[in-house]
Amino acid sequence: METKEFVLVRDLLRSFAARFRVGSADDVKPSAGAAAQEALGELGLGELRRSTPPAATVQECALLAEEHGGLPLPTSLLGTVLLAPELLRLLGAPAAPGGTPTIALARDLRFPDASPSPLVAWDSEGADEALCVHPDGTVTAVGLGQAAPSVDLLRAIRTAGPARRVVGRLTLAGQRHWQAYALVVVAAELMGAARSFVGQSVAYARERSQYGRPVGSFQAVQHLLADATVQVEACASATRYAAWCLDHESPERALVAARVAKAEVNRSAVEAVYAGMQVFGGIAQTWEHVAHLYLRKVRVGATVLATTADLLTALAEPEPAAVAVVEAVR
Amino acid sequence: MDFELTEDQETIRKAVAGLLRDFDDRYWMEKDRDHEFPAEFYDAVARGGWLGLTIPEEYGGHGLGITEASLLLEEVARSGGGMNAASAIHLSIFGMHPVVVHGSEELKRRTLPRIANGDLHVCFGVTEPGAGLDTTSITTYARRDGDHYVVNGRKVWISKALESEKILLLTRTAKVGEVAKRTDGMTLFLTDLDRAHVDIRPIPKMGRNAVTSNELFIDELRVPVEDRVGEEGQGFRYLLDGLNPERMLIAAEALGIGRVALDKAVRYGKERVVFDRPIGMNQGVQFPLADSLARLDAAELVLRKATWLYDHGRPCGREANTAKYLCADAGFTAADRALQTHGGMGYSEEYHVARYFREARLMRIAPISQEMILNYLGSHVLGLPRSY
Repeated sequence: METKEFVLVRDLLRSFAARFRVGSADDVKPSAGAAAQEALGELGLGELRRSTPPAATVQECALLAEEHGGLPLPTSLLGTVLLAPELLRLLGAPAAPGGTPTIALARDLRFPDASPSPLVAWDSEGADEALCVHPDGTVTAVGLGQAAPSVDLLRAIRTAGPARRVVGRLTLAGQRHWQAYALVVVAAELMGAARSFVGQSVAYARERSQYGRPVGSFQAVQHLLADATVQVEACASATRYAAWCLDHESPERALVAARVAKAEVNRSAVEAVYAGMQVFGGIAQTWEHVAHLYLRKVRVGATVLATTADLLTALAEPEPAAVAVVEAVR
Repeated sequence: MDFELTEDQETIRKAVAGLLRDFDDRYWMEKDRDHEFPAEFYDAVARGGWLGLTIPEEYGGHGLGITEASLLLEEVARSGGGMNAASAIHLSIFGMHPVVVHGSEELKRRTLPRIANGDLHVCFGVTEPGAGLDTTSITTYARRDGDHYVVNGRKVWISKALESEKILLLTRTAKVGEVAKRTDGMTLFLTDLDRAHVDIRPIPKMGRNAVTSNELFIDELRVPVEDRVGEEGQGFRYLLDGLNPERMLIAAEALGIGRVALDKAVRYGKERVVFDRPIGMNQGVQFPLADSLARLDAAELVLRKATWLYDHGRPCGREANTAKYLCADAGFTAADRALQTHGGMGYSEEYHVARYFREARLMRIAPISQEMILNYLGSHVLGLPRSY
């Protein structure tokens, strides 16, 4: 996409977000979510990754995910706009007949594994089916059941029904690309949430006065926020590099970068939000305040797709390329 | 609950602090710089009768407990002497515990009074290049030959070996494959470091340079049977008795370094003026120091509990390990922050905190790494499966 064009798309999403952001947990209602999702659908962003080559790069998609994470929105940008369309594109599959798919995850919100445990449709606002990538690369479509409770109040999750049909099968490279892509857009959204929340706490530190001066004038508060900013930047760098890898490097390389990014985000985005909450003090402990919406998003987000333990274990394994070299030498 | 030290303990503390006033930071800086054993300090401690603190009275000591020994070593480290001072006397203070408990009467009569009066320097020979914390993997072998044993092998990280007349030496008298349990077949000796058969090479290292750390090459060292501590094959068990006290004493030393580092940082924070005000007025300087105070205080309480339990004959593995873990971290963190508080000056030897920093780092590794402490707590206290 041309820069000018992308800026337009981003601004479109930005005005959408400003309009549909929720003011507090009490505003998170099914009717509000549905209306917001409908408005999001009208932006037509689902087409960004449907064609080959796609209209938007992964880097651009990651920036949009970051934008979406910045404000408390009850909409499914990741599931229905960025993830499921990419999966269909990778499969060369036509759009789901008359439906809007999201993706299916294991009940613990990780990538589905070989166990026959039940699935959930994740980020399911506005979706009517979910695509499940099985460990062997087979992708099936499953129907949706009832709403499932989630700690992340902004993220709709529903139980998943039995498989309706097989949509296709990903190659090994396709699976790696898919995992990397999913990790990157989720990491980007969480990073956007952390960045925005830290920004809000910086603004609060400027205006909140104690002992006759803004609390932000205290070094301890400044240093806390400076550390949080460093953590957010670490998340941003790791995530953007991983997105760049998906646009320019092999899926193997991109998957390593994406795992690093998600591992960094799992820890640092949560730490940054903790720091922001500390600066807000007591007000951030109230139900009305948005702090807990951000905290819920990053805390739950740290377990979505892959936990830090999953990622570090995978990263500790020799890289496929390194293994190939060793085997060639033998 | 009683948090007071006894009158005797307070006296020990004050007396030691008084004794050490003659050995200031400059003394320790020079000893460290010159890699020179602090003989004057050692002699002063010996003259004061402190070396035999825990050695039973019938062998020339005072028969006091680990609480008193930990107070002594904490004060020694806190005086600014740090690990250079503590390591110079550490082994004499409690290292002979296996000999006291398991040694023959003759061996005790022959060695303990000389250790108590400072005449006999001893070192501790357990770790080997192929066996660090995994003690049962040592291979230094003692072969029985009439009324002697003949020892061959290598030891590494043997503190003070260069300065010592004798070594408390752990060997194998049966190889791992020949015994039912890996902990069997190990034998302990307290014997002469005969330089004709033991080549001692100091290891160049990061800090604590007044006391050497050495590699030992033992070649056909003849050890009389009388130098054996207790029964043949039981050496590992004898050592175990001393592990918890060892951890507590190292914890006390780490605590002492942390205290002196914090004192120096606080003084500098009050004196040093930048942007027209003392730097200690900055929260960025003040808070880390306040945090270190809290951490040192908390670590000290666990240490006091651990030594109290030991002196009352109660199980103390959990507390001894926790004390070493917390004191090592609190001590090192305090030294690190002291260095940071001093800015560029902290990096110069003149302000002494660089020396504390180098020494405090040691206790996160020795006598047992922080990670192995967590292994102990994880498996022995929490009951989780052993991870190694």
